[in-house]
Amino acid sequence: MKSIEWGVLIVNYLFLGGLSAGLFFVSAIATFLYKLDEPSPYTRIARLGALMAPWPVMIGCLLLIFDLGRWYHFYKLFLHLRLVSPMSIGSWLLVLFNLMALVNCYAWLTERQRNDLFAKLPRRLAFLGKFNYDIDHWRRRLAFAGMPISVGVGIYTGVLLGAVQSRPFWNTNLVAQLFLFSALSTGCAALILGLAGREQPVQEMKLLYGFDICFMVLEFFIVLPYLIHGQLSVQAVQDSLKLILGGPFTILFWVFFLGLGLLTPLVIELRELVPVVVSNREFHYNRILAATTALLILGGGFLLRYIFVYAGQMSAMQ
Amino acid sequence: MAARPKRYAMVVDSKKCINCKACVVACRAENSVPLAYSRPWMNEETRGVWPKLMAAFAPEQCHQCDHPACVRVCPTGASHHRPDGIVVVNEAECVGCRYCMIACPYDARFFREDKGVVEKCDFCVHRLERGQLPACVETCPSKVRVFGDLNDPRSKLAELLSDRQYRVKKPEAGTGPQIYYLI
Repeated sequence: MKSIEWGVLIVNYLFLGGLSAGLFFVSAIATFLYKLDEPSPYTRIARLGALMAPWPVMIGCLLLIFDLGRWYHFYKLFLHLRLVSPMSIGSWLLVLFNLMALVNCYAWLTERQRNDLFAKLPRRLAFLGKFNYDIDHWRRRLAFAGMPISVGVGIYTGVLLGAVQSRPFWNTNLVAQLFLFSALSTGCAALILGLAGREQPVQEMKLLYGFDICFMVLEFFIVLPYLIHGQLSVQAVQDSLKLILGGPFTILFWVFFLGLGLLTPLVIELRELVPVVVSNREFHYNRILAATTALLILGGGFLLRYIFVYAGQMSAMQ
Repeated sequence: MAARPKRYAMVVDSKKCINCKACVVACRAENSVPLAYSRPWMNEETRGVWPKLMAAFAPEQCHQCDHPACVRVCPTGASHHRPDGIVVVNEAECVGCRYCMIACPYDARFFREDKGVVEKCDFCVHRLERGQLPACVETCPSKVRVFGDLNDPRSKLAELLSDRQYRVKKPEAGTGPQIYYLI
């Protein structure tokens, strides 16, 4: 009776939720990296991250709702709070994160953007115009409060899978960590992609590459113990790992996720940043290379979720 | 004196099973389960080479666990544990997220596409309330299944479990399954 219950909608949701968490987190860190009264290149990261963060997770939530057998009953998730169910905690966390990301996005709008936004409201909703407040001064507070929530969303997507004892492929705390660092890395990648079209974002790129390298190194050093510990674990776990060690997901995992989605962008970013940091050389910003690296990371992040969602459901206790 | 709470369980003497699947059919009729799904199912195992062949059949269904993983992960509490030990799904509360199906180590649940909810064996609670046995137990021609109250020492089920050796499936899952297979 074993079947694949969670499909591409859930894969997309896990990816988009993580992407938003990463965008918010990196933007929030950037918010603290400049003096308020001085112009700084990091403002662009903070602004772009804040403006982008709410939308992927919102689309993800819609996909999640449409994946339900009775999507019109989704409100029932919010009539209960069950602390033993990762999905129940996650539902509330997503609501909190969505609200936080939206308010943060609003806080980063320029005065002109805000006025344009309220001017576009249909006449029936014109009363909302009285909410046209300037909340610029909330930015750091929102970033500070939202950071743990964004980390929570990043971890939760992994906990949702890792908490299932009956699926040996998932049942390790490493999955939550893996998903978190992958989420943060995809957030960085989306910002790199977003900034790639702008005028000479050199300082921004240096910072984003630096963060991204940290996240990807951490991700890599979680993938390694995941594989090694799995091989040293009980038979059921060893069997489940065969799905990526000779099974149907082998090429996808080793070539496309690990090779192209993690190690290749890691090497490119190291190659770009290390000479700048170590030998004080000039940063050779290449727009096409940056965009390609970002796309590889985003593709890798998506594949990671795809492989884990499907392989996990195919694994079972013997 | 307060009555001792019931704890329903089932003993399966799979050596008696002839794989007639009457239990599957009776359950389907009793619980209006469409042909595409089934609450109980048969495990078939054949070993050896002709003429030295061995065939074994063992029926299986929801194990009505003591610590059910499905109940733990359910976000709305639709899957819940009754005081008599039976794990049931409250269809009105089920949103169809299927997390319980993924969490069940026995793959004992299925998703009803037509209703958008998850279903499983519930030991025919509606029959128990009328004082009847579950449909699969009543219909079995070779009396493979014995249903009863674990807390009643005079029950046939308690007697079998004290006299015979038995095993449960996947005890390592830690869910405390309550379908006992006689050895």
